[in-house]
Amino acid sequence: MVNLIEELVLLTIDDDGSVAFTAGGSGFRMSAIGACLVELNNAGRIDADLDAVHVLSQEPVGHAAADRVLALVAAGPEKPVSQWVRQLAPISGEIVRLALGSLAQRGILTQQESRFLWVLKSRRYPLIDGAEQKEAKLRILSALLGDDLPTPHDTVLLGLARVGGVLEGFLSTAEIARLDDRIEKIGGIDLIAKGVEMALRDEQEQIARSFLAPIC
Amino acid sequence: MNVTFETATAATVARPQGRLDFGAAAGLQQQLEEVIAQKPAALVVDCAQLEYVSSAGLRVFLVAARAAKAASIPFVACGLQASVREVFDVSGFTRILEIHADTAAALAHLGTPAA
Repeated sequence: MVNLIEELVLLTIDDDGSVAFTAGGSGFRMSAIGACLVELNNAGRIDADLDAVHVLSQEPVGHAAADRVLALVAAGPEKPVSQWVRQLAPISGEIVRLALGSLAQRGILTQQESRFLWVLKSRRYPLIDGAEQKEAKLRILSALLGDDLPTPHDTVLLGLARVGGVLEGFLSTAEIARLDDRIEKIGGIDLIAKGVEMALRDEQEQIARSFLAPIC
Repeated sequence: MNVTFETATAATVARPQGRLDFGAAAGLQQQLEEVIAQKPAALVVDCAQLEYVSSAGLRVFLVAARAAKAASIPFVACGLQASVREVFDVSGFTRILEIHADTAAALAHLGTPAA
């Protein structure tokens, strides 16, 4: 059984075991933190509303990535989901590495070191049989192509995958455009997932303002 | 959290009161699932006395709406206080749930006059 952050990470792994460039993007970094917050919410360690993330218990959940986020949130003042997501996005690389380590430990993928152009170190994570990645893709596709309401898990997975730019890894641009209404309707129907969207929008607006400031 | 249920021929009306947070979510979810298992003609969740909904509490509505849809039971929410309405708006629930001003409007929508 893989958790939400692990599913999200699995969706970034290409057929050759390399981690997609998407994983380094702002959207994915924020989605990774959001996935940890949702895991913590499901486990009863935090709850969230429009104003703040509230820590209910500091007891670790047993997933290294989520527990790292829990420790940081518990150590800070209460603030909205979007602010936590932006603040913690810089540690998303560590969160992804912890998730990859956990997946490797459980035999879902392997870690391979290699050299690119004889000098640059490159790391790949070939999937053992790919069942868990297929399962995550199928969950997203069945939520998108069916008429049913998705489960809370699947709507969050879809919402975070969209914000993280992960859908592009297995759906064409034309397919995403065709499914846009459905993605908009059922993706990320969740306060934490919306907090991640808000964080990304805030960052993009801030960048846009900084570009426009010298002009205006 | 306290929840009362009123069952009529055409619909069961659930009235949760107080705060729907992580601590209250599992209890309400179980109660709504039990009602859905009894196959009412429709399920109306009257939120007039619901003061607060957190992210965990919000998922109860999705789980219940999903279960109701799977059982072909119309599922309607009504009477949202402004603060709860804002949570529904921001999270996107108003796009997937049928929401009415009050129980009378919800029952009228379902084709049943209020008692």
